[in-house]
Amino acid sequence: MIEIEHLSKRYGATIVVDDVSLRIDEGTITVVVGTSGAGKSTLLRMINRLVEPSQGRVLIDGQDTMAIPEDQLRHRIGYVIQGYGLFPHRTVAENIATVPRLLGWDKRKIAARVEELLDLFQLDPAEFANKFPHELSGGQQQRVGVARALAARPAVLLMDEPFGALDPVIRSKAQDDLVAIQRRLGTTVVLVTHDMNEAFQLGDRIAVMDQARLLQYATPAELLTRPAEAFVEQLVGTAERPFRLLSLRTVREALESGHAEGEPIPVTDSLRDALSRLIWAGRDALPVADKSGALVGRISVQGIVAHGRAAP
Amino acid sequence: MSSLRSALALDRLGSVIAVLIGIALFASPFVVYRANRIVAGEGRMLADALPPPGAVGVMIVALGVALCAALIRAPLIRLAAATIGLCAIFPAVGFSAGFVTPPGNTFARVSPSLGFWLLALAFALLAADALTRLRLGPWARLAALAVAAGAIGLLLASGAWNDLSLLKEYASRADTFWREAREHLWLAFGSMVAACLVGLPLGILGHRVPRLRDAILQGLNIVQTIPSIALFGILIAPLGYLAAHVPLAAALGIRGIGAAPAFIALFLYSLLPVVANTVTGLKQVPPAVTDAARGMGLSARQRLWQVELPLALPVILTGIRIVLVQNLGLATVAALIGGGGFGTFVFQGIGQTAIDLVLLGAIPTVALSFAAAIILDAVVDLTRRGSP
Repeated sequence: MIEIEHLSKRYGATIVVDDVSLRIDEGTITVVVGTSGAGKSTLLRMINRLVEPSQGRVLIDGQDTMAIPEDQLRHRIGYVIQGYGLFPHRTVAENIATVPRLLGWDKRKIAARVEELLDLFQLDPAEFANKFPHELSGGQQQRVGVARALAARPAVLLMDEPFGALDPVIRSKAQDDLVAIQRRLGTTVVLVTHDMNEAFQLGDRIAVMDQARLLQYATPAELLTRPAEAFVEQLVGTAERPFRLLSLRTVREALESGHAEGEPIPVTDSLRDALSRLIWAGRDALPVADKSGALVGRISVQGIVAHGRAAP
Repeated sequence: MSSLRSALALDRLGSVIAVLIGIALFASPFVVYRANRIVAGEGRMLADALPPPGAVGVMIVALGVALCAALIRAPLIRLAAATIGLCAIFPAVGFSAGFVTPPGNTFARVSPSLGFWLLALAFALLAADALTRLRLGPWARLAALAVAAGAIGLLLASGAWNDLSLLKEYASRADTFWREAREHLWLAFGSMVAACLVGLPLGILGHRVPRLRDAILQGLNIVQTIPSIALFGILIAPLGYLAAHVPLAAALGIRGIGAAPAFIALFLYSLLPVVANTVTGLKQVPPAVTDAARGMGLSARQRLWQVELPLALPVILTGIRIVLVQNLGLATVAALIGGGGFGTFVFQGIGQTAIDLVLLGAIPTVALSFAAAIILDAVVDLTRRGSP
């Protein structure tokens, strides 16, 4: 768990982060979102003390980060930045081994860990371990960057625009992979982005920042249905609102009893995907199937639309 | 048809080389004969410089190389032709010296002349061009250098050149030659090492503290603009004072003239390339890389040794290459103030108008600079780990 208490950063007369407090639960993904210059990167960099706070403090699992020597603190916190900052003179395996080597792990343990991570990120160790970063595609570099940050099994992973340099197709695959790996490892992730779609796709909770202040810190659904300020509402995008809400809810929530003709929809799909299928199929309703393929009911356009607005 | 035409089309550099070879063979003396070491000499054309079979042989080889240079583009064949050419004329010029010198005459001197030098230049150009086109890797370049050095060493050891004037100059000064060689290398390498010991920390400091960087670089720039002889002159007074008043300095051999001011001057000239390249090399380390290193918990020292210096190393080594080549040349001038080195022979030779004595100092200097450049270029390439 990360507790940020009244954290501020000033450079001379300029306030970059203004009295921000938030609590990040263990094993969740928190996305800090805002326009550029809102102070979100500075907030992130104060967690691993790349930026020293002017005021306030950060507690990780109850321990004040100021009480830990900064290099030791950073060994325990994964860090991924836009562009990844892979060491160009070191191979993929050497890059991933960076923190374990600093921690003095023995060679065999490091080699095993590197192989495990390459497998986890779907990079064949035989092919990739001895390549240099410039021989990798953007997507592969990104995966090595995340693998390197996770090498010493940190409980916390900080990510600053980690998908910013990827093209859209690879980006959405990388986002899905991150969520899958995060669920598997239970790592606490704090991710900074300016991309609202990314925030909604990844965030268990979203922190919206503007002009150094934290405007709202809430779940995606809350952000849509109860925006704290006009700026949040605007950032969320009023035209997109119903569709964002639908993409957060699953078919299970709008399941109706009864029968319908046509290709069944998986019960785990989002309502947005279900609506999309209904429109494309030209039907008012379609059957719903569970994991095993057994039909469990139906879903209708009316039923979906009702979920596309805040509960009355 | 078209492929045949393009295969036989004239090569531009090759044509120039062929013309050079033509001039060397038909319009220039191969060697020059002098009755003693300082009088003016008379040229001997190839036909008079070697017994008929030898002269014809050299002629045929040289013409073959000329044809090859002009018409054939395959770099391996051009390299082979150039090598055969060099292997023909180098022993030939030594043999010619024995052939031209009247039997029993110990005063007569025979030196290579324009024809030989032009042939050597033409073949060397052809070889260099072929080696460039072959794009050899660093190890292959080092191997080529080793083979060339070995071949020349073999020629010298075999005594094939012993009748040449240059080696007669050497024979009468063998002891001094090696002493001055040691002095030359000590001046050039010693000042380079000293410049690295001081320049690397200065460069790192300059990288960390931008305000200091400008001051340091501007100061060193000014030093660089002082002509070498003037700098020697400037150093004479303070070093002389030091020697006169500090017994330890005098005991260490520091005097107003001699090796000390030469060493200091070379050291000062060496600082700018080392410091400037260290600063540049560190500056071009991508900010994302240092940020990631910091974020992963590498301490300042670990970042410097594990990330910044390895990434800056090729640029720093390029600076050291400049320093070494520059020092090997500049050390020659040290002889003017009694600093020793190969310059001693150059200035003695100028004084005595004995051109072969000048060459005895100049040729090793050029060869050393050439070898140093090739070796350090290869090392720079070898340290570019992980770059495209």
